[in-house]
Amino acid sequence: MIDEYAVEITALRRVFATGKGLRKRGPGHVALDGVDLAVRKGEVHGLLGPNGAGKTTLCKILSTVLLPTSGTAKVLGFDVVGQTSRVRESMGIVFGGERGLYGRLTARQNLKFWGALHGLHGKALRTRVDTLLERVGLTGRADDRVEGFSRGMKQRVHLARGLVGDPAVLLLDEPTTGMDPVAAKDFRSLVGELRAENRTVLITTHDMVEAEQVCDRVSLIDAGRILATEPPAALSEWITRFERVDVPAAPAEVVARLRELPGVGSVSTEDGRVRFETTQEGVAAQLVRALVDEGVTSVTTSKPSLEEVYLHVFGHNGMAVRK
Amino acid sequence: MRTVLTGCWYQLLVLRRSPADLMALFVAPVNTAVFLAIVRHADRPDLVGHAVLAPGLMALWAIALITCGELIDAERFGGTLEALVAVPARMLPLLTGRVVVVTTASLFAFAESWLVAVLFGLRVPIPHPAIFVISMLGTALAMACWAGVMASVFVLARSARIFQNALGFPFFVLGGVLVPVAMLPDWVRPLTNVVFLSWSSDLLRDALKTAPVQDFAGRLTALLGLAAVGAGLGAYLLSAVLKRVRSLGTLTYA
Amino acid sequence: MHWIRVFAASTVNAAADFAATYTWRTWTFAWLSRIIAQVLFFTLIGTLLGSPDKQRFLLIGATVMAIVAEVLFTCASSTWERRAGTLPLLVASPGDLLAVFAGRSIQWVPSSVATSSVCLLVVGPFFGVHWTWGTALALVPVLVVTAVTTYCFALVAGAFVLNAMDIRNIVANVLGALMTAFCGAVVPVSYWPGWVGQVVTLLPTTHGLRAVRALADGGNPVGGCVAALLTGVLWLVVARLVLHRLAEHGRRDGTIEFGDS
Repeated sequence: MIDEYAVEITALRRVFATGKGLRKRGPGHVALDGVDLAVRKGEVHGLLGPNGAGKTTLCKILSTVLLPTSGTAKVLGFDVVGQTSRVRESMGIVFGGERGLYGRLTARQNLKFWGALHGLHGKALRTRVDTLLERVGLTGRADDRVEGFSRGMKQRVHLARGLVGDPAVLLLDEPTTGMDPVAAKDFRSLVGELRAENRTVLITTHDMVEAEQVCDRVSLIDAGRILATEPPAALSEWITRFERVDVPAAPAEVVARLRELPGVGSVSTEDGRVRFETTQEGVAAQLVRALVDEGVTSVTTSKPSLEEVYLHVFGHNGMAVRK
Repeated sequence: MRTVLTGCWYQLLVLRRSPADLMALFVAPVNTAVFLAIVRHADRPDLVGHAVLAPGLMALWAIALITCGELIDAERFGGTLEALVAVPARMLPLLTGRVVVVTTASLFAFAESWLVAVLFGLRVPIPHPAIFVISMLGTALAMACWAGVMASVFVLARSARIFQNALGFPFFVLGGVLVPVAMLPDWVRPLTNVVFLSWSSDLLRDALKTAPVQDFAGRLTALLGLAAVGAGLGAYLLSAVLKRVRSLGTLTYA
Repeated sequence: MHWIRVFAASTVNAAADFAATYTWRTWTFAWLSRIIAQVLFFTLIGTLLGSPDKQRFLLIGATVMAIVAEVLFTCASSTWERRAGTLPLLVASPGDLLAVFAGRSIQWVPSSVATSSVCLLVVGPFFGVHWTWGTALALVPVLVVTAVTTYCFALVAGAFVLNAMDIRNIVANVLGALMTAFCGAVVPVSYWPGWVGQVVTLLPTTHGLRAVRALADGGNPVGGCVAALLTGVLWLVVARLVLHRLAEHGRRDGTIEFGDS
């Protein structure tokens, strides 16, 4: 077992005290509610869920900055509660957003600092830092201060920082938050390289397309529970099945007729705008054709939000009350 | 007047959330202990008044420097300055209200010092209570006026910010808060004469002495005159700040 | 060895922060002149008391307290780590937290040694504090010992305020004022009740100040320096415990923030 899995989580539960100071009482907020998860070595595993689903709490526990209330979590066979130093040596952490870097230091200085923390020094450190800068495409800006970087560039420094300790397991918490589409595309190809290097990657996201594109398997999480673990093909199927078709205005009788088409799930009207949600693949295309035939030419289709997919796939239970 | 009260209320809310703005109130009692220890160790009971007044004056100045100096800047940082400017002609009374609250709160330092003196087993009689109260009010007024100047200066000249932390002790010396400026070399007198603190500290100290206070009216006039200069300068600088916000649409630093 | 390397890597951060705070001009005209004014403020009390001895005593005491005030900026600069959002990454890294924080705020040590050297060697002679070439040369290492060991104490304060960011400046300033009162800067430690003397014996600054006074009086500063170093090590150990406790506590109650959440 230990040989096969890089991350093993069993019945993991985390409850946060509610209230402040001495007045911490009441049932508390359940952030993780009995999570079981096993990530194979060399796998890119996605943790997909809306905000507040418990993704970050899980990342915190795996990265040893938060203790579970109950249950166990192991990284490469090392317990995240008792064997922290072994876990810390073998794991790299990257989170999205602007925080976590030293703005007044250059990209190179940032990487050197974190490399030193991982026990690197001298030539080995210099070589590692140079290689990583090259790899994330920052060689030209290596000696510029990070505070002047764009968000996408900061994210690349983050990624290089996460790799500086040559970790076997990499934890990416919402890594593409705030990235522009080009940077996000580069990021995806980089995850592909990590897979080729046989690193294990656990990546959290609320972006279905991203999860579908980079992951080997995706676990769907909501309200602190894993709902299902699926291959990415399931996601792409959902994305096309639950497409949305929006029109700014349409005659009422046309809407009424289209509503009856098989595969049209729900139709909602807001300020005259009409939204059709489909539940079968290919229905969106049918709808668009039918609308154009009726003379409605301003038609847009869009991919469903994660919440909508959850609602369709798991029903109301899947969207259990979130605070 | 209502805007002044709004400013007061707003500032009270701000202070309640950020105790660090009134940091000097935490330091003042300890400073009192420091100064009282010095004069008692030197066996100079006649200087107890100096030791008790100094921490209050220092707190008054320090709070004006740090807190009022950042009033406008904090609004700029929070992105609310533009919104405030959009409310026409309200900035001055609003700022006045806020400065009054901060200044009043800092007067509490004098009470703290007095309490520490009591803990040391010392009594600090006030032989000239009327003069003391009038001088104290004049001091608070002058401080509030000059706090308005600071609030604008630190916005207009960013480089002044680096000197903000540095403007404490030089003025404690030039303002004679503990050692009367009369003890300083003659050549610094022109400088100390325009620092209102030097008039304040001399008047307050004299009010604690049994000897009659010399030329009270003249010295009070000097103090109030300097307060008026501060008020005028503050209003002028504030209009400059507002002009810059309006013309540039925002308050980007020069 | 790893510890030293992490410490050294962290000092790069300290240098970058210092360079962002001051230029040579602002350091000289804003910071140094402020420290000189602070020292003069206390020295003039000696003038008010009409005693050249008190002038000397207060000048030396106020200078060492200026070191304390500057080194206690560690309270603020330690919290910059939390502001940058790097705390979770530090806790989750295999490096030692104390090594990181010890390097992080080291900029205040050389700066305070420089300002205090100017106060004692340049301003001092105007108020009866005289130096020979020998004592002047010996003074700098004594000031270094005082600043470094005081810094060990400041690291403890910095570690404490990591969980109370709002009061970081209050803690620094109140501590500075308390040490001015009780460590022998303005009145001899013996002026206070005996238990105060016992408490301040634990502070390296008390011994550093004693060493500076000994040197200024032509005496031997070694005893004071050794005591300062010993107590400094003690506080370094305490700092390590406090940082460890902070991390463990944060793991339990979930206060170590992660990214933006």
